[in-house]
Formats: sequence, C-alpha cells, structure tokens
Amino acid sequence: MDKELVESIVRNVLSNLDEGQSSPSKSSKKSTGGNGLTDKDYPLGEKRKDLVKTPTGKSLDDVKFADIISGKTDGSELKITADTLNYQAEIARSVDREQFAKNLERAAELTRVEDERILEIYNQLRPYRSTKQELLDIADELENKYDAVINAQLIREAADVYEKRNRLKGDR
Amino acid sequence: MKRSKRFLELEKRPISNDGFINEWPEAGLVAMEGPNDPKPSVRVENGKIVELDGKRREEFDMLDSFIADHTLDLDIVEDVMAQDSKELAHKIVDINVCRDEVKRFGLGMTPAKVVEVVGHMNVVEMMMAVQKMRARKTPSNQCHVTNVKDHPALLAADAAEAALRGFDEMETTVGIVRYAPSNAISIMVGSQTGRGGVLTQCAVEEAMELEMGMRGFTAYAETVSVYGTEQVFVDGDDTPWSKSFLASAYASRGLKMRYTSGTGSEAEMGFADGKSMLYLEARCLYMTKGAGVQGIQNGSISCIGVPGAVPSGVRAILAENLIAMLLDLECASGNDQTFTHSSTRRTARMLMQFLPGTDFVFSGYSAVPNYDNMFAGSTHDVDDYDDYLTLQRDLKVNGGLVPVDEEDVIKVRNKGVRALQAVFKEIGMPDITDEEVEAATYAHGSKDMPDRDVREDFRGIEEMLNKGTTGVQIVQALAKHGFEDVAENFFNLLKQRIAGDYLHTSAIFDENFHAISAVNDKNDYAGPGTGYRVSDELWEKLKNVRFAKDIDEIGE
Repeated sequence: MDKELVESIVRNVLSNLDEGQSSPSKSSKKSTGGNGLTDKDYPLGEKRKDLVKTPTGKSLDDVKFADIISGKTDGSELKITADTLNYQAEIARSVDREQFAKNLERAAELTRVEDERILEIYNQLRPYRSTKQELLDIADELENKYDAVINAQLIREAADVYEKRNRLKGDR
Repeated sequence: MKRSKRFLELEKRPISNDGFINEWPEAGLVAMEGPNDPKPSVRVENGKIVELDGKRREEFDMLDSFIADHTLDLDIVEDVMAQDSKELAHKIVDINVCRDEVKRFGLGMTPAKVVEVVGHMNVVEMMMAVQKMRARKTPSNQCHVTNVKDHPALLAADAAEAALRGFDEMETTVGIVRYAPSNAISIMVGSQTGRGGVLTQCAVEEAMELEMGMRGFTAYAETVSVYGTEQVFVDGDDTPWSKSFLASAYASRGLKMRYTSGTGSEAEMGFADGKSMLYLEARCLYMTKGAGVQGIQNGSISCIGVPGAVPSGVRAILAENLIAMLLDLECASGNDQTFTHSSTRRTARMLMQFLPGTDFVFSGYSAVPNYDNMFAGSTHDVDDYDDYLTLQRDLKVNGGLVPVDEEDVIKVRNKGVRALQAVFKEIGMPDITDEEVEAATYAHGSKDMPDRDVREDFRGIEEMLNKGTTGVQIVQALAKHGFEDVAENFFNLLKQRIAGDYLHTSAIFDENFHAISAVNDKNDYAGPGTGYRVSDELWEKLKNVRFAKDIDEIGE
C-alpha cells in the first residue's frame, strides 16, 4: 500500500478522533508517538531490544530464567510498560490498524491501575451497575489519579449512552 | 401410504437425526439476505455520522452509536457506500486486486452494506476471498482440551499430545467452575511440555478469566462474547464500553485477547429483532473492530444449531468469517461445536475454512474424545486425527496438524503429567498419584481415569489462590523437579508479556518464541504461486503418515 496514503489516512483519522474528545491535548500527543517505529521494528523483543524495558528498567536480557529459579527475583518484572505499549501502538498504526493502536494506548494508561481496581472498574461498567455520577467519578479518578485520559473519555461516553439507553443502576 | 423402501433406508441415515427448519425471518431464523434487514445507508454531517443503515442518530441503539463513533472511517465511508455492491464483491474476490486495496475500503462499508456485498458471492468465491483476505499468511489451528472429570493429569497429557501434533493454541473450560485455575495450569504445563510457545486459555466468566491471565495461568483470552442486538448484549451482562475496557485491561497486562461472536446467538436468545443472522453478526464484527481488539472467534461457535438448521446457513458462517477478515481482524474460524450427526455434512462445513486456510481453521478441534469435550462437543475430535491427516495429504493442504508416532505420543503424555505432578506437589495441590500418571499416559479419555477427590481438589485450589500463587511458582516447581526445559518454556511464555509482540493481529509463537503475526507474516496472496504454500520440508512430514506403506512392504 502507498505509504503516503497510509500516512494521510492515519492523520485524518487522528484529527477526527481528536475533535470528538474533551481533552485531546494529552492523548493526541501520546497517540502520534514519535519514535518512527514501523513493522520493520517488529518483533520489538528481537529487533528493538534497546527499547523494551521492564517496569524497573531492566532489559529483556537481564530478565533471567536462573534468577527466577533461584528466587533472586520474584517475577514482578514480567510486566509490560506503558512505553512498550505505546511503541506497539506505533507499529500497529504503521500497518494501518488505527483502532487497535488506540486500544494499546488505552492499555498503556491502564498499566498504572492496580489489578483489583481494574476488575472493579470493569464490573462497574457492566449494565445496570452504576449511576451516571458513579461512572463520572470513575472517569475523574482515572484522569486525575492515573493520568488515564483516553480511558476517562471512554467512560464519560459510556455514561452518556447508558443514560440515553436506560442502562444505569435502577433502570432495570 | 405404503412406504417406499428407498425412503425407509434414507431415514436410517445419521442425517435424519439433524434438525432442519424453514426460514422464519420475524424470529431471526434467516441466515442472510433477510427481508427485514435494513438497506445500507450512511450520512455524515459536521464530522459525525448522523444516519446509519436507515436509522437517524436519535434512534441509534448502543451498537449503532459505538460503530458510528469508533469504527467507520469518516473519510471514506460516503465514497465506498456509493459504490455498487457487486463491484465491491468483485474486487474482494479478484486475485488482481491486492489485499491492501480491499482492506482500505473495509471501514467504508456499514454492516448492512458488507452483508449486501458478500451476499453476491457463492461459497467458492468466498473461499477465494478468505484465501486472500485472512490476516496471517501462514494458516494455523486451535484445539479444545477438556474432560468431564476436570481431571488435571488427563488435561496435562492431552495438552502435551496436542502440542506435539501441531496445535498453536489451546483452550480449556470446566465441568465445575471451581476447577478453572487447576484446568488452566494443567493445560499450560502440558502444552509447554509438548512444544514451547503454544498459547493457552481457559474459557470462563470474563472477570475470572482476566484474573487467571494476570496470575500467569493463561497466555491469552478468547471467551469475551459480543452480540448483535443491544438486548442480547445487555443480557450477556456487558456493553460495548465494558467490553472495550476489558480489551485494554488484557493488553495492559501484556495478554493477547480476541472477542467471540457468531451467527444465531441473537435468535437463540430470543432477541433477533427480525434481522438476519449475518446482519447481526456484521454488527458484532464492526463493534469488535471499533473496540480495537485484534481479532475474533466466529463461525457461529456455540449457536451453530441455529444457522445449521436454515437454508444457506453454512454459507452464512463462511460469510461471517470473511467479513471479519475484510475488517483485518484475526479470525479463529469456528468448526467447533457439534451441529450434525452426518460425517458428510461436518466435513463439508469444515472444508470451507480448511481449503482456503484461516488464522485458526478450528477454534476448537477436540483434542479429546467427544464425550470429554466440555464445549458441547466439536465437529472433529481425536478419533478423526487420521482422517484429518489424510485430507491434508490428499489435498496438499496445511490444516495445522502433523503426523506423529505412537511412541512419541506416549512419551510426551507421560512427561506432561509428571511435570504437572511436580507442580501440584510444590504449590500445595492434592497429589497426582503414580497410578494417575500411568492411566493418563495411555488413556483414550476420562473413562480410563480414576476419580479425583473433588472436595480435596477444591480445598487445594482455594489455598493455592489464597497464597497468591502465580506462574512464577510454577516455573520454580518445574525446575526444582528436573523439568528444566518445561520450566524454561513456561518462563519464556511469561516473559513474552514484557515485549507485547504477541498482542498484535493473528500472533502465534514458533518453538523458539519468535512471534509470527499479521505484522511480519502478512498475507500476500495474489493468485497461483503466491501467498502461503506448503513448504517442501512440511510436505515431507505431511506425506509421511504412519499408515502409508513403503513400496518394498507391499506383497510381503
């Protein structure tokens, strides 16, 4: 596929998405990336080992089988970071997968949210679980506590739709 | 009436036990080209879709809103919608129009439009299109590993054998829900014994599935269901927004995931809204795309009895796979739940995906006997292995399996169970006895296995979870008992989360944990001699089934 065409489509899609967002500044900065990563850098874990780090800053080669076996490390470094997810989003965008890239960027934000809180928020988003205010509070929490602006936007949008379609707590 | 002996014979055939119904569009019992399906339409005003398939924005339900705001490409949608559906169908099938060009207009079609477009195709044309449009160049296969007893030893043995036979993904589920963590661990240990890099999952309730992924008991998730009407979606206890959040939650932990949908689910749940099964499935697929999920398991799946009973239903199932591919989604293309008593019918249904090749031809070939399949059976199972290998050999098709020797199978099954025995000992689960190891090594299915003390197993599972056990303890247990190679495979699978390469569309691993996906293995089919071809090396393996005789053996 013509590269210029890809780029122009991506640019257009991005600008459209930004129009629909209340706080586009933070998220759009993240989503445009800026490391110039493409499918040629994939798999990142092989071709761009220099970029891939654990949450504590270790490189892939420093995460050793022997250290897990000996109990020297507890395995808490076996996690993806926000940076790596944003790199993968760039790669996704380079092969014209805009929505998937967006998902990876939301995921990057969620790396900052604890497992338990993620499960709770997911359950709160299910139909008839929350009042509109409760959903808006979650959105604020995500934005203020975790700097998760894209997720906050998604939840505000859900609050509006749930209200319109009678899917809030007490609507059943 | 005096009965014809010919008809009496026909009624003895297995197909007589299948259920067939005539179309009933008002109840959604029509596969495709439904008389009440909306006419395709779209209108964009001020950078927003204000009309979608005959509905104004004020009338949008949750799915319409989501598709309008997250999926469709506003820059192209009006242009593509203005094109003739038959011409679009031509481009999709034409080997001279490359995949990228077709992919470009996928998001310019509304659900009603894409259904109209594929409605112009017969199944051979759809297969041509699938061959060109599937995301990953190399086809692959997924299997089910379950049993009625949730017997961990047997799960590990079956997973080890399935990995040796070539499956790249494995899925388990439970007879009794509380067994879920035990089942997940059992197939993960078994699979990594058979072949490092096989991806495994455990299909249970969404939140529980996520928790097991976070703990490192599974490598991916698939049972994240979406539906084509708002009422059924909500009855499934989710919305497009909760499901989108879930998708990001998985990715945030470095875990691959795909959604599940399929024709017939809405009719089966009683809220088809008078629409055809394929139209509703198209809505699921556009919702999936908008959520940013990399892929889908579809092909009717657990509702196949519904499309299977109506005219053109099996064609609609192929059409839904194709629509997923037109949206550039990974497609695990069904062929799982049993829908017929007829061997002819099940084979014909399977050839639709087997011949062109898909990302996963089966989203659950039963790697256990059918009586042990807890996904309500599968169209093909362990007793069909030789038939399946023969089809690959007859037609020179890579359906994802390779011939194996009995001795190797016995060896790997035994090692898989012994590895799990070691793990259970270390993480405080009730022992797997040597008697169980022996039985699982040679078993056909759970009928050959002694019963477990179910209460003791539950106690063990609960304690294990309360201690905060994760994949790391499993790696340590394996290494401690001399299963270094299995431990290293398990560790590498966990380590892959750091880089996230297998989050991408259609990603699988080879035995060296090298990610193969629609990023570095793009489907480039463009007619004869292009795209995926069986390599000479693989062909040597596929030819050499154990039941083929050498020339010098004949006449002995």
